[in-house]
Amino acid sequence: MALQKSDIEAIVGAGNVADDDATIAAFSSDQSAVAPRRPDMVAYVQSVEQIQNIVKLANETLTPVTPYSSGLNLHGAAIAGQGGIIINMSRMNKILALDEDNWYVIIEPGVTYEQLQNHLVSKGYRIMVPFGVPPGRSVLTSYLERDPVMAAPSFEHGNFLIMDTELVLPNGALFKTGNWTSGGEPGAPAGPIRNSLFRMWTAAQGTLGIMTKMGLQIEPIPQRKVFFIPLHNVACAVKPLKQIQYREIGTECLLLNNFNLAAMLNDEWTVPADFPAAPASTERFTALRSLLPPWVLIVSVNGLPRRSAEKIAYEEEALRQVCDEANIELLETIPNISGAAQLFESEMLRPWSILKKFNFKGHVRDLTFKCPVNKVDELIEIASKTSCDGGYNCTHIGVYVLPLERARALHCEIDLHCLMSEAATVNSLWLKVSEALMNAGAYFDRPYGAWAPMVYGRAAGYSDMLRNLKKETDPNNIMNPGKLCFTN
Amino acid sequence: MEKKKCIPNRLPPEVYKALENIVGPEYISQDRAVVECYSKFCVDSTGALKKHAKDPSNIPACIILPGSTEEVQAIVHVCNRYKTKFIPFTNGMITFNGPATNEPTVCIHVSRMNRVLDVDETTMSARLEAFADYAQVQADAMKKGLWNGGSPLATTLSKLSSQSAFAGVWQTDHKYGTLGRNIVSIKLVTAGGDILVTGSDTVAGVDDFWEYGPGPDLFSLVRGSGGTTGIVTEIVVKLHAWPGGKSLPEPPAGRPSIPTYADPKHDTGPAPDRYRLLWIEFPDFESELAALRKIGQACIGQGLNATGVYNAYYCSQTQDMTLERVENKFFPPYNCYVIIGGVTSEKQIAYEEAVVRDIIAETGGTFLNDAHKADVIEALAPWNLDCIRHVTGFRMNRHSYCGSNILGGPVDTVARKTRQVWSKAIETFGETYVTDRGGMDDTPFLYSSNHGGRFWLTEADVYPDQTKPELLQKGQALVVCGIINTIADKYGPGANGLGVSIEPVTSFMPEVGPNAHLLFRGIRDIFDPNGLCAPGRQIFSKQEYEQFPEQALAGLNKMRQMHGLDPVER
Ligand SMILES: Cc1cc2nc3c(=O)[nH]c(=O)nc-3n(C[C@H](O)[C@H](O)[C@H](O)COP(=O)(O)OP(=O)(O)OC[C@H]3O[C@@H](n4cnc5c(N)ncnc54)[C@H](O)[C@@H]3O)c2cc1C
Repeated sequence: MALQKSDIEAIVGAGNVADDDATIAAFSSDQSAVAPRRPDMVAYVQSVEQIQNIVKLANETLTPVTPYSSGLNLHGAAIAGQGGIIINMSRMNKILALDEDNWYVIIEPGVTYEQLQNHLVSKGYRIMVPFGVPPGRSVLTSYLERDPVMAAPSFEHGNFLIMDTELVLPNGALFKTGNWTSGGEPGAPAGPIRNSLFRMWTAAQGTLGIMTKMGLQIEPIPQRKVFFIPLHNVACAVKPLKQIQYREIGTECLLLNNFNLAAMLNDEWTVPADFPAAPASTERFTALRSLLPPWVLIVSVNGLPRRSAEKIAYEEEALRQVCDEANIELLETIPNISGAAQLFESEMLRPWSILKKFNFKGHVRDLTFKCPVNKVDELIEIASKTSCDGGYNCTHIGVYVLPLERARALHCEIDLHCLMSEAATVNSLWLKVSEALMNAGAYFDRPYGAWAPMVYGRAAGYSDMLRNLKKETDPNNIMNPGKLCFTN
Repeated sequence: MEKKKCIPNRLPPEVYKALENIVGPEYISQDRAVVECYSKFCVDSTGALKKHAKDPSNIPACIILPGSTEEVQAIVHVCNRYKTKFIPFTNGMITFNGPATNEPTVCIHVSRMNRVLDVDETTMSARLEAFADYAQVQADAMKKGLWNGGSPLATTLSKLSSQSAFAGVWQTDHKYGTLGRNIVSIKLVTAGGDILVTGSDTVAGVDDFWEYGPGPDLFSLVRGSGGTTGIVTEIVVKLHAWPGGKSLPEPPAGRPSIPTYADPKHDTGPAPDRYRLLWIEFPDFESELAALRKIGQACIGQGLNATGVYNAYYCSQTQDMTLERVENKFFPPYNCYVIIGGVTSEKQIAYEEAVVRDIIAETGGTFLNDAHKADVIEALAPWNLDCIRHVTGFRMNRHSYCGSNILGGPVDTVARKTRQVWSKAIETFGETYVTDRGGMDDTPFLYSSNHGGRFWLTEADVYPDQTKPELLQKGQALVVCGIINTIADKYGPGANGLGVSIEPVTSFMPEVGPNAHLLFRGIRDIFDPNGLCAPGRQIFSKQEYEQFPEQALAGLNKMRQMHGLDPVER
């Protein structure tokens, strides 16, 4: 029996289900190269119980369910690949708790970065935010999708900031992880039964359940001093970057090429509200770019809650030593550019000005991967060469590199830009570059869209186990079917 | 009267032969002496009780020593073909039971797989075989200015592979987190006989540098599974900057194994280069907790722990000395120590010490030093080395370890909850020795597990004498009472803030999750379709669940009702 709109209305209320053309069209695609697909309806849920009831009904009627929070994943994860119902949680947008004694927040899926950061900053705290995330992006989904935060170079800040969670399992049952698990207060991430169970649902694109609440670590806003290290190329960044990280200097650290830096510094461009964006004039951008060094390594030396200046002072001294030894300049601003220090001060809390890059041509096809530090130069070269060989203007490539956990790994994003009219050509080139990067050892740990078969085709054992897990936990295959390696 | 004999079941000859064909006759044995010697879970109270009852179901039928992942896989295939049960084994220092079944069981002992295969400075990681221990990896990594971030009090001889499947709590969790945060990849022969590699290493052509596999993370299902998911044959662990020199300043070896021998020189060494331990005592619990919170939130240091009664175990040279020191309150009842290290530069040490001094001045603590309680600070010297590489713990001058209540959470609530739960258990069932009172009248053992001090682990333990069955039973009652009480009070995942659940409480506490056991029984089926691996251990298979004795369930239900929970029905 097919799921009826009235059944869903009975759960969420009459005005909260949409199946009109405009809504369905709006939810059928995003800015990515993933093929559009129309859902049957969109349900705007307000509570966990409503989600549970929809999921139970979906099991009875074998209806695909796609969880949706802000839709700003930009990689097609929230496109209902097999139709069915989209569970839109954007109205579940409460910051449920801010524990100032123990430095964590509890949020619902609809809470956005901008909303949460504004709230926290007003109280003297911050949430760690990924570089280049849209301000309207769901914080919960972004953490669930393992977007690396800007503070990820520091082991203590990176990669493990999720605390307790609440989920609806694919059978509709409610489940909790962490200290929350027996129904009391949250406050720690371990359990139940296994130590870091919440990780099972990360990068799952909603295929294994729907996370409805999440606890996240926050911290008092630190004082900071931002430094700039101009560099000729990536190869000469590797050694100092490694040394800075080995000595645990600084918290945030980022390597940008001048395409991305110019986009960020261009005050004629604004952060788009929608993606894809409308292209804008590139004159100022081009002029700015010509003033910038090819690459800049940015390091933010942060204070701690106590004796902040002393902490910044000894780290600055160590940073100067590393730069002296490597014979590279350490600057407190970018030559010829005003306001760089202020820009990056503010980026550390709200790092979205890089999204101005969408003004260049409207669409961005990104290649987001991880690699060891000694491979980064070669991989960027491969991406650049493959693009050029495919007819792409390789001066139009944006790159950023974020060290993870003191540079045991790097997170890289290489962007190809295109106008709507160029999308088909650039899409196929983007696939070619993806393939070339994978062949050279780049690791795409969040296999969206067309990357999924490429990655899982190289990971047979892992995929088999994932499919077994999927079969066990979602026997009716209703949760966002077709994503990852769950392609029936 | 006929004397009851304790004879374990033997494997059918064809199974033994098939296994022998894999490793050769020199690496397999069903000789009772050999089997017991290799397979002893040394702190397993259930096993000890079975020995008292002459019940052989804790003794494996045979011991086999594979030399490679391929051999492990071949053994697991044979076991699956003949539906023979098996358990993975490294040192046996865990508190789980051995094979909890009367069926003949194969003990797969990975001691031949004991190499550090690689220390990679670029990715700051080390690849180890299953039997490589903390001391090995530290020794190799420190030569390259790196270390793995800690070692458990179960001693540095614990294997990282077994710890990845179980615990991995260190004195340095404050900065580095538990072992679970420090694993890049494992290679697992699943209980069903497949190979599962986790992390980036699982993708062909990709190096082993990142801990998440593509998409959902499967390592999280192995972590804490206590051997029920399969056998870890290789593990890649993260390394961190080590400023402390190319080797550790170890104390002289050669301590004679005589219970009354009491020369502290074998236990005491200086702290490593660029490391300092600051010891502080407090007038009361409240000021201690205030200081712990403030130091945690200062985000400094590598370790932040309150050690309570543990100082007596770990720093006394004989058992009599331990008891005497506990009774006479030799160590300050409210204390903590902070491990600071100069990773960035020497100045980091001065900075961090200044921060601790500020906090201690604010909270009314007193530093232990040569001028204040010099004898105590001298007695605490074993921690200088043990906080990095734990060498004295297994001598642990207490009786046998029977179990713990390990809670997790914010420092104030977790500390008080542990006190409350453990006090109730001791008041109900009584103590085995005065040392069990640790945490009731003094600080519970508290480890900061997060660099902002957001969440902590506590530990309250019981140490009965294994030769006295009534004390073992009392010890078990204390532990189970604590677990059930904790869950009944809706505090966390049971008395194991580490997220490592132990049967039978996993299956019979549906409040957790809720119904986490149902999810995990399904997950066990994925890893172990025939229900063969580590029988009776972390999550009962359907068969084990159904066969759980009525009498034991009645006992559990009685305990549930004691804490206001309804009895569970199967
Ligand atoms: C005195 C004492 C102090 C302790 N202190 C601490 C502490 O501070 N921190 C801490 O974390 N723990 C501590 N423990 C408990 C500790 O976790 C275990 O003792 C530790 O795992 C022992 O390691 P092992 O190599 O002896 O493992 P074993 O006891 O041999 O095995 C541990 C578990 O893992 C399974 N296993 C073994 N090998 C493998 C493998 N290759 N693959 C998969 N599973 C496997 C076993 O079946 C078993 O379930 C302590 C124990 C004692 C006795």
